[in-house]
This record gives sequence, structure tokens and C-alpha cells, in this order.
Amino acid sequence: MNRNVSRIFAAFFGVLAITLPLFAGDYPLQVARNIMLYMALAITWDMLLRSGQISFGIAGLFGLGAYAAILGVIRAGMPAWLSILFAAVFSGVAAFLIGLLILRLRAMYFSIVTLALGEIFRIIVHNLHDFTGGPEGVVIQQGVIFGGNANKLYWLALVGLAVALAASTWFEKSKIHFALTAIRDNEISAKSSGIDIFRWLLLAFVVTSAIQGFLGGIFVQSYGFATPDTVFSADFTLLPLAMALLGGVYSTTGPVFGALLLGLVSEWLKLKIPYGHLVVYGIIIIIVILFMPQGLKQLVRRDAGKTEGRNA
Amino acid sequence: MIKLRTENLTRRFLGLVAVNKVSFSMDEGEILGIIGPNGAGKTTFINLISGIIMPTEGLIEYKGNDITYVPAHERARMGIARTYQLIHPMENLTLIENVMVGSIFAKGNGLKEARRKAEALCHELGLRGLDRDTSRLTILEIKKMEIARALANEPEVLFLDEVMAGLNADETKDLIATVQRIAMERHLAVGVVEHVMGVIRELTHRVIVLEAGELIAEGKYEEVSKNPRVIEAYLGGGAA
Ligand SMILES: Nc1ncnc2c1ncn2[C@@H]1O[C@H](COP(=O)(O)OP(=O)(O)OP(=O)(O)O)[C@@H](O)[C@H]1O
Ligand SMILES: [Mg+2]
Repeated sequence: MNRNVSRIFAAFFGVLAITLPLFAGDYPLQVARNIMLYMALAITWDMLLRSGQISFGIAGLFGLGAYAAILGVIRAGMPAWLSILFAAVFSGVAAFLIGLLILRLRAMYFSIVTLALGEIFRIIVHNLHDFTGGPEGVVIQQGVIFGGNANKLYWLALVGLAVALAASTWFEKSKIHFALTAIRDNEISAKSSGIDIFRWLLLAFVVTSAIQGFLGGIFVQSYGFATPDTVFSADFTLLPLAMALLGGVYSTTGPVFGALLLGLVSEWLKLKIPYGHLVVYGIIIIIVILFMPQGLKQLVRRDAGKTEGRNA
Repeated sequence: MIKLRTENLTRRFLGLVAVNKVSFSMDEGEILGIIGPNGAGKTTFINLISGIIMPTEGLIEYKGNDITYVPAHERARMGIARTYQLIHPMENLTLIENVMVGSIFAKGNGLKEARRKAEALCHELGLRGLDRDTSRLTILEIKKMEIARALANEPEVLFLDEVMAGLNADETKDLIATVQRIAMERHLAVGVVEHVMGVIRELTHRVIVLEAGELIAEGKYEEVSKNPRVIEAYLGGGAA
């Protein structure tokens, strides 16, 4: 696809996304909100993956942000908008401190430790009963954001997605792209070219975690409550991962299209066969891993190659 | 003027002493051959100097500063660059992007400036088709890219670990001339590891010989190649 064509596409979808509430009803808006949330998470997961580090900790940092936001409102009386920013800072700072400890780990070791993080956070929240409300969770009694207005909640979710898209594009277009790709491809060569590996990994981990916390803040404000089992749900780790794998990893576009497709299909399946969508998720992950290691992007790429060939 | 020197540099791997009390120095503008049989410790020696591994004992001094335990990426920024015997291209970056990396991170250049400099470097080395994936490069092109990647750091000291291996006679000749020109123009101190003695004879001003981690001889190639201990090392190593 040529650059201008993709620009026009992006502009079209941008306008469509912003104006959706003007012509769509509550149900489609609710679906769109959900898809945008997972899309944003898929993008952040991919951003860190570009360094070669596979995180299973999305739910952990998402849930941490969610609790930071809701407790910020309930315990500290923060206004809703501030609590969402607080969520981002809280998850970002947590990731910085944790990153100092775990970013020396690689491959499976890193993945397993991040998986454990989510579980540890969940257990802590579970047990700090007096402060966090324990297993029953906490509810925002009054002053929910935007008075629960569906259009405004939709736009709030869109802001969450826009932040993830902007950050991912920044990663792709700046020297961060070179740092992370070099680290993923070969750490020894990366060092010899002057790359301070630990520093760049820390940057990627903190930025992606802060956005995950931000999204957790948006999520919890939109629903007005949090329990450990909802905000630390494994879905927040697994679904974004499946979406990014389906669309194709190491870019912004892959997770975007993967999330769109999987989000819509699973919504449709949910109506047809309740819970059946989860089976489909599993099957898609297996098929993609076995037959399309580069995701849907692989099909598009092959196609683009043919077109170029024909024109030449 | 001395650029780099080591004193009693030693690295053990469990019981094996891969580099054993090596003291040497390199001057600005000098091309130094580093030879020795397989497993003599040549690559390990370069790994120590470039900071890829840390020494068990000894001292490394660069431009008068002790850098013995300075991390590798900082040494790259200070001006020490190298290529790898086992090539390590970054396969998810194109040829030109591979060369840009050193310019961006070792020199702190912006992307535009880094691309401009990388293009000039590739041009200087005779590399074309700069937007190709590294999987599409010939051996000669990969070797040149590795040299370009190292030069992108704008080093003062450069180590080439068997860059000529796998090239045919014409390609080798071409690369020898290229390395000589680059070293001359930039007043580089270059350390060259090669198994082909013809290359060492033609390219280097001085040679050091390692055997089982120890420095056993030093001098001009013509002298060193007549040294009985060196002849013995090569025959004994079975790699004459
Ligand atoms: N990381 C390591 N762990 C254990 N032993 C090592 C390691 N690296 C090198 N060695 C050993 O150190 C010795 C020196 O190896 P080195 O690669 O430096 O030799 P070399 O002179 O470069 O050989 P060649 O000419 O084959 O490249 C060898 O016996 C090797 O097996
Ligand atoms: Mg070697």
C-alpha cells in the first residue's frame, strides 16, 4: 500500500472513530469501547515485545492502575480525571521499581516473573481488606465520571486508544525503534554499537506499563467499581496477546487489525454461542502460531509484493 | 602515541586460562596482527578489550584511562569498536539501518544525520542496495557491513576478528586495500586477527602471537614467522 493511501485510510478511520457516537446506538458504542480497550492493551504489549521481552503482566499493571484510580477517588477524594492520570503514574513508577529488579531476566524467566506479578498484586489487594475492600472490591458511590454518559465514556476510551497509538508510533519512528530491534536481534552487537540495553528496556517497560495503568484507570472509572477478580482478570493479558499475534507483531498496525477482527468476531460469537468465543480464541491462537507466525500481516505483505511485481 | 594497552590481562573459564597475563600496547595509526592457533585466545582477548566479557585479573588502559571494568556500550562510545568472528547482523534492520545504529547510540546522532553518515560509510566501502534485508547480502557484503557498523561508532581503535575468512582471493585483496585506506585516513589503531598469513604479512606493521592464552612473541611479521617458538606453536597446534 502506498503511503498516501494509508494516510487517507487512517484519516477516514480516525474521523469515523471520533464521530461514531453521533450515529451509533448504545450497544455498538459499548462494543467499540471494549474493542478499543483491548486494542490499546495489544499495542502496549507489542511495544515491549519489540525488544524481545514477552510480558504476561498486562493484567497486573492494568489492575494496579485500576485500583490506584478508584482508591484515589474513594480514599483521597481525587477528581475522576486526576485519578486516571494518577493510575498511569502509579503503574509507571511500580514498573520502574520492578523493572530495576527483573529486567536482567530474559525469555521465559522474564515472562514467568511478569505473570507472577499480576497474581501478587491481586493477592495483595485481596488481603488489604480495610483499604482496598478485599475480595468484594470497591464502588464509587457518587459522582461517577460524566454521569455515566455513554458517548462521553466512548470518547474517554478513544483517548486511551489514542495515547497507545501515539506512543507506539513514537516507538516506531524514533531511535527507540533502533534500540529495541537491535536488542531483540542481538544484544552483543547492540552493546558494541553503544546501546545501553538495560536503560532502553526500562524505558519500554515503564512507558507500556504506565499506559496499561492509564487504561486500567479509564476502565474502572467507566464502570464505577473494581474487584480483584475483574480488574486482574487473565483476559486482560491473554486477549491482547492473541490479538497482536493474529494481526502480526512488531508494529502498530498488526495489533490494531488483530484487535478489530478478533473483537468483532468474538462479539458476534458471544451472541451466537455464549462462551463459545473463548474456544474460538484458543483455536485462533493455535492456528496463527502454527501456520502464520507473522500474523495476518503475512497475507497483506505477500499481496503487496505481488502487486509491486505486476507494476514493475 | 599509545592508544591502548593491557597489563597482565587474564581471563579464566573455570579451569581454563583463555587469556593469560597478556601485556601489550597499540599506537595510533598502527595496524597490529594478532595471530595464534585455534583456541589460542584471540577472540577472548578482543572480547576483554571491547568489554563483552570482564577480565579475571589485569588492567586495560585506553588513552591513559583505566577502562578495565567499564561496560561495553560505554567503551563503544569512547571509541573502541570491533567486528565479530561469528557475524551478528541485526536481521530485522536493513543494511543501512544496521550501519546507522552505531552512529545513533555511540555518537548520539539524530536519525537523519545517522542515515547520511551511514550512507557515506557504505559508499566508502562499496556497498550498494542499502535498503536490502541482511538476509539478501553476499558474504563479502556482510563482512563489509560489519566493518561499516564498527566504523559508525567513529572509533579510534578498531578490532577485526577474521573479517577475511570465507572470502576468495580477489575479495580478500579488495578488502585488504579498503582496510588499509580506512586506517590511514582515520589514523586508526587496528587490531587484525587472521589465519591467512598472506593477509597478516600484507596488512600489518607488527604482530603479536598468542598460544594457549599467553603472548609468546612480538615483532614484525618477517621476524616473528622465523621465531622457533612460533613455528613450534603452529606445528604443535596442528594448524601449520
Ligand atoms: N565463554 C566461554 N566459556 C568457556 N570457554 C570459553 C569461552 N570462550 C572461549 N572459551 C575457550 O577459551 C579458549 C580460547 O578461545 P578463543 O575463541 O578466544 O580462541 P581463538 O584464538 O579466537 O580461536 P579461533 O582461532 O578458533 O577463533 C578456547 O579453549 C575456548 O574454548
Ligand atoms: Mg576466534
